[in-house]
Amino acid sequence: MEWFWPEGMYTIVMVGVFAIASFVFKQPIAVALTIAAVTGALISGNGVPIDHLVEGSFGYLDTILIIICAMIFMKTLQHVGAMEAVAAWVTRKYRHRPFLLTMSITVFVMFPGMITGSSTAAVITAGAIVAPILLKLSVPPVKTAAAIAMAAIYGMAAPPVNIPAMIIGGGIDMPYVGFGIPLLVCTVPLAIFTGMLLMYPDLKRIAKSGKSENGGLENELKKMAHVPLTPRLLLPIFVLLALLGGERAFPSVSPSFGMPLAFLIAAGSGLLTGKKWNPYLASKEAVRASLPVSGILVGVGMFIQIMTLTGVRGFFVVSAISLPAWALYLGIATSMPVFGAVSAYGSATVLGVPFLLALLGRSEIIVGSALSLIAGLGDLMPPTALAGLFAAQVVGVENYFKVLKACIIPALVTALWGITIILGAQFF
Amino acid sequence: MFEKKNLGSGFSATTILIITAVLIFVSAQSYLEMRTPDPDVDRVVPANGFARKKLSDYFDGLKETPADTDVFIQQGEEPGGTVLILGGTHANEPASTLAAVLFLENTRINQGRMIVVPFANIMGRTHTYPQDGHPQIYHIKKEGSKSRIFRFGARVTNPVHQWPNPDIYIHPGSGQTMAGVERSNLNRAHPGRPDGCITEKLAYGFLKLIQKEKVDLAIDLHEASPEYPVVNAMVAHERAMELAAIVTMELETQNISIRLEPSPKQLHGLTHREWGDHTDALAVLLETANPAMGRLRGRTDEELILTGTDKAYRKAFDLGQLYIPYEDGTEPIAERVARHVAVVKELAFNLEMVREGKGIDLEGVPDYDKIVDLGVGAFLAD
Repeated sequence: MEWFWPEGMYTIVMVGVFAIASFVFKQPIAVALTIAAVTGALISGNGVPIDHLVEGSFGYLDTILIIICAMIFMKTLQHVGAMEAVAAWVTRKYRHRPFLLTMSITVFVMFPGMITGSSTAAVITAGAIVAPILLKLSVPPVKTAAAIAMAAIYGMAAPPVNIPAMIIGGGIDMPYVGFGIPLLVCTVPLAIFTGMLLMYPDLKRIAKSGKSENGGLENELKKMAHVPLTPRLLLPIFVLLALLGGERAFPSVSPSFGMPLAFLIAAGSGLLTGKKWNPYLASKEAVRASLPVSGILVGVGMFIQIMTLTGVRGFFVVSAISLPAWALYLGIATSMPVFGAVSAYGSATVLGVPFLLALLGRSEIIVGSALSLIAGLGDLMPPTALAGLFAAQVVGVENYFKVLKACIIPALVTALWGITIILGAQFF
Repeated sequence: MFEKKNLGSGFSATTILIITAVLIFVSAQSYLEMRTPDPDVDRVVPANGFARKKLSDYFDGLKETPADTDVFIQQGEEPGGTVLILGGTHANEPASTLAAVLFLENTRINQGRMIVVPFANIMGRTHTYPQDGHPQIYHIKKEGSKSRIFRFGARVTNPVHQWPNPDIYIHPGSGQTMAGVERSNLNRAHPGRPDGCITEKLAYGFLKLIQKEKVDLAIDLHEASPEYPVVNAMVAHERAMELAAIVTMELETQNISIRLEPSPKQLHGLTHREWGDHTDALAVLLETANPAMGRLRGRTDEELILTGTDKAYRKAFDLGQLYIPYEDGTEPIAERVARHVAVVKELAFNLEMVREGKGIDLEGVPDYDKIVDLGVGAFLAD
């Protein structure tokens, strides 16, 4: 009891207030987190510490800038027609080869997540483009939504940008360097497995039956390929690869623009693709699309600052590291996705850091990578379900729980794969 | 998801903007207080004999920049060695600053010279770090109701002065790569460069100070989390190892246990490596344990800074997670400052043993037991 009081009580009240604000009063997650943070400060005798609340939110300033600028880049690709042109080209090329089509679509959906570190970005850009293609290829809507949601989560976890891994690493002063291969090991096998589970059987059936030649699909592809796929159309991608790749490959000679500016410069190069598009409109759409995620990060920042201030964080962290080994692994596999109901980023911050501390002594980079993967599953958890809900929306499935059900097997396999990697990390 | 029905009205947008403006105004007042503190905050009262200079006297590039900081020098009557005591490299490590201030306010040098910099990175003293929940100031109690007030800042330079940082920081000179935020960390920027970012310029200023003043012994004071392996420790450059080993044994006889660590040759940017490699000084870095900066800490407040009492750390100690003895669940500021003071004194007293004719003789500085018994405030001026 001495250990539980009062920090355990603060924990219950803060989580409870968040749940009530979110589920009962249907407040946006960012607002619910803010209310919970203010409540935590009040009951712990800290009043309403405006300076702490604002300061906490600034912890994610750089991350928010990355997300918004990356979204502007993705919207640029959409507006110049590059995304649709690539999707149409891939579908045409591989529609008779279901395995390659499955893998191409998976990578296509993952790509925006890899660039932005946000599953939402992947769903509302690439996911929205491939959804009609998959539906025309007779993949059931629920499976389509599940495939998009899972690919988006793997994209969020895959390199080069994995924000949960950055957050977890930041918690123990570990730089986000050397994560590339571990994150690929974490995500690629799962992406292949999930694609084979959710898309491949239907795509194979359609390819065998010859229905992939149907007129509906051809019309859809024609519509999408109204802009011919040329190297010039892909200029923004080349510019981005040069800026980010150059900084990493030749750090001593290549100028460091930072991710936000690199994304903006690459987006700006969209003006040289020869296509007419409206940068103002693209930016406006991008900022709107980024606001929910940015808002959540602001809320998570406040929540964590108050957790630190009140001692809830220490209570949580030390409780986590005092778990016996079997309970620790079970805790990682269950609590991280469940806490992701706040957001995958919140889960990474609140639980990822203590779990990593509890596992010190193994390769921290590998453990951090696996924890970030498991935290990513939080984007399937209602009420936020940043990947799942948006995927259901772009496909037109009204009952999200049907999509969630279709995600259960890939999610379980993901959690098990993550734990397997953590167990294997002691050999590195 | 972004249908018109979901978007707010002009009225709600205006209301939210007004509320935001009020919140910005209120919080900004609080943050600005750290940049223009009350004259009593971070006030120092140098002992007789100390002359005040600025770091920009050694490197012009710091003149009229937010990095320029005070340098205090006292020359003894007899010639001898020169010791530099650097406090406040990281503003969230209060024992470092307080130990330097204690030397500044009490020392009388008979032989040799003492240089004290109590606030090495003053750009870290003007902000607290997001999500750390730290208070902005703390009070060191004196007799009666009096107290001295100091700022509790952050480990890194205020982003107001240096932002943004790259994703990856490449240490100039060595080419070592680090997380981008380390570019704002003074103890990753040594030996610095005259045309670098403001933190690198600051580091370069200290390099020039050591070279121009011909410093023999350079001591950088720090604190670390109790769960960090290098704590209650002295990290010494290979040229300083003999002196450090002598001092470690001397301290054992006084029942002050200290871990001696060699400065890793491949770890660049830190004082114990770069000062040792680029100057003639014997470079050492000292670490005490500060629960208020650790990841496992519980409630974060002034009490934790001053007493180091924390039940979360006590439980972590039982779990074998700490590198310090913590049976009583406390790590008071007086003990941490006393430890720094004791080690610095021993280093200075024993300098003659490794550098002939470079002895240092000082008086007026209290010993370990006195500081622990009477508290730090008893040895600070009114």
